[in-house]
Amino acid sequence: MRTRPVPYLAGAGVLLVASVLLGVGVGALPLPPGPVLATLADRAVRPLGGSVDGGLGPVQAAALLQLRLPRVVLAVLVGGALAIAGAAYQGVFRNPLADPYLLGAAAGAGLGATVVIAYAPGSGAVPVAAFVGALVGVGASFALGTAAGGSSSATLLLAGVAVASFLAAAQTLVQQRNAEDLQQVYGWLLGQLGRASWSEVLLVLPYLGAAVAVLLVCGRALDVLAVGDDEARSLGVHPGRLRLLVVVAASLATASAVAVSGLIGFVGLVVPHVARTLVGGAHHVLLPMSLLAGGAFLVLADLLARTVLAPAELPLGVVTAFVGAPFFAALLWDRRR
Amino acid sequence: MSAGLEVTGLGVRLGRTQVLTDVALTAGPGSWTAVIGPNGAGKSTLLRAVLGVVRHTGTVRWDGVPLDTVPRRERARRIAYAPQLPVLPEGVTTRDYVSLGRTPHRPLLAAPRAADRAVVEETMARLELAALADRVLTTLSGGEQQRAVLARALAQQPQVLLLDEPTAALDLGHAQQVLDLVDRLRRTDGLTVLSTLHDLTLAGQYADRLVLLAAGRVVADGTPAQVLTPGALRTHYGARASVVTGPDGPAVLPVRD
Amino acid sequence: MPRRPILAVLLGTALALAGCSGGADPAPSAAPSTSAADSAFPVTVTGDTGDLTLDAAPERIVSMSASATETLFAIDAGDQVVAVDSTSTYPEQAPVTDLSAFTPNAEAIAGYEPDLVVISDDIDGLAGNLDTLGIPVLQLGAAEFLDDAYAQMTTLGDATGHRAEADDLVQSTKDRIGAAVSAAGGAGEGLSVYHELDPSGYSATSSTFVGGVYALFGLTNIADAAGQDTGYPQLSAEYVVDAAPDVVVLADTVCCGEDAATFAARPAYDTVPAVRTGRVLAADDDVASRWGPRIADLAEQVSQTLQG
Repeated sequence: MRTRPVPYLAGAGVLLVASVLLGVGVGALPLPPGPVLATLADRAVRPLGGSVDGGLGPVQAAALLQLRLPRVVLAVLVGGALAIAGAAYQGVFRNPLADPYLLGAAAGAGLGATVVIAYAPGSGAVPVAAFVGALVGVGASFALGTAAGGSSSATLLLAGVAVASFLAAAQTLVQQRNAEDLQQVYGWLLGQLGRASWSEVLLVLPYLGAAVAVLLVCGRALDVLAVGDDEARSLGVHPGRLRLLVVVAASLATASAVAVSGLIGFVGLVVPHVARTLVGGAHHVLLPMSLLAGGAFLVLADLLARTVLAPAELPLGVVTAFVGAPFFAALLWDRRR
Repeated sequence: MSAGLEVTGLGVRLGRTQVLTDVALTAGPGSWTAVIGPNGAGKSTLLRAVLGVVRHTGTVRWDGVPLDTVPRRERARRIAYAPQLPVLPEGVTTRDYVSLGRTPHRPLLAAPRAADRAVVEETMARLELAALADRVLTTLSGGEQQRAVLARALAQQPQVLLLDEPTAALDLGHAQQVLDLVDRLRRTDGLTVLSTLHDLTLAGQYADRLVLLAAGRVVADGTPAQVLTPGALRTHYGARASVVTGPDGPAVLPVRD
Repeated sequence: MPRRPILAVLLGTALALAGCSGGADPAPSAAPSTSAADSAFPVTVTGDTGDLTLDAAPERIVSMSASATETLFAIDAGDQVVAVDSTSTYPEQAPVTDLSAFTPNAEAIAGYEPDLVVISDDIDGLAGNLDTLGIPVLQLGAAEFLDDAYAQMTTLGDATGHRAEADDLVQSTKDRIGAAVSAAGGAGEGLSVYHELDPSGYSATSSTFVGGVYALFGLTNIADAAGQDTGYPQLSAEYVVDAAPDVVVLADTVCCGEDAATFAARPAYDTVPAVRTGRVLAADDDVASRWGPRIADLAEQVSQTLQG
């Protein structure tokens, strides 16, 4: 562990920018880099009345600006949101295995999406249903946990397990009753950014922005929670209230991410761990580091997903698992020593 | 002058068990009161009740003000707590950990200010943690960690220090180091110390007053010489011992039959 | 003499019987027969898994294949059908049940006391199970080429004693498709087509059944260049935009609510020539994917789209 986090944060920022450039420049459609930059520059200066020549033709420019660019932006947002939410959950529950889908968020979102895919296809309601489902899942876990006996982490986690199992079973039932929609449901469940568009970016930006802002600000508070509820109380903090605030913000971020991208796993689990090995466990540094690293990671993972088997696309959740799982194993191996 | 710490009629019920019944004690400002008693007597619970993290009947007053009327942050600026088994977060440096002690003195979400940083550095220096400041907390030895926990409590700049078994995991030499330190600090800073100690001799040597707790009730309260008697030890500990007067206070010598 | 007349009677009876049994041999009849209990039986038909011999015309057919259902009703064998699976939604008079073609249950099928079950896929050992129950199974899987579809129509005609109607159906389907192609008059030559199976970009190459129909119009298929081993590759949005298809056929209008407007509204799809010239055909999912007689409907719709 290093004690000077600033170089690492700066490094993560640079990595993010580099990933974005790479993600925009590379894809199933080969686009020469010079004209790509020219087109981007041209778009950037147009509102100011300027123009840059030498850009791409209309079809390629459309593919760049309306397909690829929003997709990369969405990857940054979703990856960053999942990573920071994961780091926050790990802090709040003092559990390194916590991930953003913990309190029934994944199961709830999956159920919402499956119901819409099965009974109202083409209505465009999948993102909303997934968003609402995720929040319902977390809300139910919280309600069950607090009713069962206080807001301690262990009780909440157990309530989350119960709620998630129930919602997952309901989702499986709906899926089985509508077997012909199976492919669509799985496509969503395994995570994808293939439908990314500027309207989706605008859709989630307010929620993501608000949630991430709250989480970043709560970094120091999470450090206090890290010493346990009794000691946190002795330091003048209300652990239950703080936990609620962080869980709500993290769940909002997760629900927004899931609404547009389906269930992309491993980002929220692995990225915070990697960040922790680089900058340590102090949350006021860990959270921004996770945010930057998560964004970069997902951009690169999505790049892989859409180029490895071009023109077909691998489900994004599969890529993150393939990359994330060995990484995680390596981390665990390292910890043994 | 401050009226010190006053506990009256304290009772604590955990689940179905009445852990503490009608506990009363007073600790004058700057004094060191040690709570002793056999296992399961409720010593730790007493500290946690005084701290305010456990629901209790009765009143705890500091300087004449009942503490349950004081908002939590205010309370945290007056009372600091070093638990017996502290949760040591992973991946944080000693300095970061000690800085947590400044939490009651600044808005929760704000960054530490220069004044906070100064207090932290000063506290670490006094506890000889300066060289370990940038080390990861979990890589420190047991004794060093104990000092770090104490430093965090002292960084709160409290008026009352609650120490739960501060020497539990330490060998005699390190135990003495910690106790000497606490003694020195309480004299220079005017801290009121309420601690639990299971080593009766050390308790007798360092504390001004002893409170003997057995089965949740106060059964003796006074100077070490008054409380540490073979009779009390036999009755409440079921132990065979003789008490001799040492240079710094009574010393308890276990007796084999 | 008393023996000779008896011999003559016996010989005559034997000859007459021989003559009658000769009449019971299956003989192709040019005139359409209205009775199913014809001289066409017993008949041996060939399905995907081998021959099946039917002693008499089946009166209680259960169809687990939507395409087979359409054909059965088109060849006038509808009143021999007692139950069809839940996906057999056409024609309207088909006796739809909640038998599932995706998770078939042999017992449930047997509950209808069928004397012939037509399936397209042998899922979960269905054919074996029905065999154990002594129920004849005819497996007619997805057609690869138009000729396969015609052969299946003929097979179903033989199996139900409606061979003549089946031949008519084959002929009329061929005629309709031929007419559609000539009506387009070569408008499809040199144009490219994108056949969309679902909004995530699954398409069909020219080596598939529906791809074969497009080939008749001289259309090239943008899915062919995807270079994947399957007849149903997935094409990313970037690929489709770059390939700039001149004609688009949407086969995901029913399942997923897509139509020309939603297609055009997708980011960057306003550059697609098919969108610009209004050549986006919102076909019915079933018409565009089944290999029954309605494939002629698709051909006609494509022809109309090409004619503008």
